[in-house]
Amino acid sequence: MSDTAAVSATGLNIIKRIRRDHSPVVIVMVGLFLVVLISGALITDDFLTWFNVKTIIRDAALVGIMAIGLTFVTLSGNFFLLSMKEIAALSIICFATLMGADWNQWGSAGGEVTTFGLLATFLVAFMITMLVATIAGAAQGALIGLGGNPIVVTLGAAGLFFGIGSWWSDNLVVSYRRPHGAEWLGTGSFFGDIPNITVAFIVIAVVAELVLRYTTFGRQVYLVGANRAAGRATGHENFGMAIKCCIIASVCAAFVAVAFSGQVSSAHVNYFSSEFGSSGDMTIMVIAIVMVGGNSIMGGYGSTLRTSLGAIFISTVDNMMVLNGFNSGARVLAVGLMIVFSIIVFALVRRGSRAVE
Amino acid sequence: MERLKHWVTENPDLSFAILLAVSVYSFFAITEPLFFTHRTGFAIMERFAVLGLVGLALTLCIIAGEIDLSIGSNAALAAVITVRFTDSLGAINALLIALAISTSIGIIQGYFIAYLRIRAIVLTVGTLMLLRGVALFAAEEKTVMLTDFRIPDFISTKMFVYFSPASILVIFMFVLVGLFMTYTRYGREIYAIGGARKEALASGISLKRPMIIVFAISGFCAGLGGVIIGLRSGTAQALGLQYLLLAGTVAAFIGGVSILGGKGGVIGAAIGTLTVNFLNTGLVFNVTPAFMVQMYLGILLLVVIMFQTGSRLFEGSQRRSQLLQDADRRRSILADKIARLRNSPG
Repeated sequence: MSDTAAVSATGLNIIKRIRRDHSPVVIVMVGLFLVVLISGALITDDFLTWFNVKTIIRDAALVGIMAIGLTFVTLSGNFFLLSMKEIAALSIICFATLMGADWNQWGSAGGEVTTFGLLATFLVAFMITMLVATIAGAAQGALIGLGGNPIVVTLGAAGLFFGIGSWWSDNLVVSYRRPHGAEWLGTGSFFGDIPNITVAFIVIAVVAELVLRYTTFGRQVYLVGANRAAGRATGHENFGMAIKCCIIASVCAAFVAVAFSGQVSSAHVNYFSSEFGSSGDMTIMVIAIVMVGGNSIMGGYGSTLRTSLGAIFISTVDNMMVLNGFNSGARVLAVGLMIVFSIIVFALVRRGSRAVE
Repeated sequence: MERLKHWVTENPDLSFAILLAVSVYSFFAITEPLFFTHRTGFAIMERFAVLGLVGLALTLCIIAGEIDLSIGSNAALAAVITVRFTDSLGAINALLIALAISTSIGIIQGYFIAYLRIRAIVLTVGTLMLLRGVALFAAEEKTVMLTDFRIPDFISTKMFVYFSPASILVIFMFVLVGLFMTYTRYGREIYAIGGARKEALASGISLKRPMIIVFAISGFCAGLGGVIIGLRSGTAQALGLQYLLLAGTVAAFIGGVSILGGKGGVIGAAIGTLTVNFLNTGLVFNVTPAFMVQMYLGILLLVVIMFQTGSRLFEGSQRRSQLLQDADRRRSILADKIARLRNSPG
């Protein structure tokens, strides 16, 4: 009798401590995650295998990296960029064109393929792609920072970037030959059976989280996002912040584009619109991840850790539905329901704690 | 002439929109011999039927200080539902079902936005994906098609040289919404929550009613646009109609809405849509690929936004320098007075 009372008391204590130490948002999220995970594991065969866990994280990697980049924009109070997939499209065209360019073939000097040469080709293409993405991001960021609405600015920029990408590639598939210098990023693995892209995802997630938590820049992101007036009063204008955050988001998108191009040795502007993943539109998928992770869209609240968990969560649900034989419609529906559900839950949880803007 | 000048200074945005529309039209009319014909006029009005609805919906949303990102998905869903059920239920029933569904989606969105007090972009980016999923589900991931092509023929019958049943319906819709926005209390409430939300709420306007009305109209317009596209082309895709958001936003912004809300109107929306249609149609004459059209629209949107932001910044700095000047003047007057008092004998 006393034993059961003690056990239930410890149980209550644990619940109390969890409720004290963590915000309700986190509890809801973790609870949901556990419910999905456990029910999925029970009804799905082959779900809880090491191979499948690897697949889930690998699937989450590409969209996850993009979402981590976007989280900076969201945290700094600039909503989100509707041009993520178009930046990626422009970058992938840029990268593939440069990988296939005649002047950039350092690998096959004298008819012999050398690792060093392949890497040189890759590096040249990679650096120029990053430069293009940086310019694209900075241009958008400047417009946003001057006071343009982020949604409308990036909606227009999306059309512009997509147009430039299509025009550059003549709306054709740009392909380059294997072996090429991006294989290690796209399909290779240095650490046994863990693909490099997964490693890159984890490294980027950790670095982003550290930057947000322990650097001055990270603090400034939170400050500008949480209270723009206070930021301005202390000399942190949104102008510079918007530019920096948009550059981070663009560079992450470009990195994803490079990695994806490395997988398929080719590029097309539509890779991120239609053929990517289950859910059609990559931009919306990325925004979905940021939201499902529980970051505040108004800025100032959230972290990239949440975003990474959101990516893995969505990927888990997707994976489970694939294993159970659902079609793409049901999967898009599920992700849509998850976003709307998380928006409503987080809005209810946080209701009253933030002024209405 | 004097009155025209007065009108232009009173409505700078509208006159800019008219100027832009006229110059785009005359550019293509001069460079393309076939542009200035009745047939092209009819084609432009046919495009107007769909884009006009989307432009109208987005104009209303932006007047209310929000933006409805789910408009393309809502239209695609309506198109899929109409086309899928026309064969079994008849066009009228299918159309009514689709319109009812898209309007109620709008109402639910508006309710949640007002109830949760979140920005519309937050919710509508979620419903954007959700409605795509529903549309994919409804279409079973296929392109749905009509078998009876008398309905598409009826919808694009030519009437009065330039019009078809679809475009007449849309013009009627424009008139209705225009009257509603100008002459009813509910319409003015929409302007109020857009232009000065805090003040409007403080003066006792509930956020719910105008928000629900705006999103109901937006959902209805999106649905009607989807129905027209679906029935006219006889096919519908769940993942289609994504371009509507960009084109509609461009139309709304050319029509003179401000992202801060509370500005703009139905006439502006009509002119903005017509400008976009002139551009679209003219570029088709030039054999421009679709992605280039998208690019031009993107550039146009960026230019309009830069113009707006620039004029806002300029006005702000003008006001600041005005204030400083006033302060300087007052100080010098005061200094004069003090000096005079000191110098005065006694």
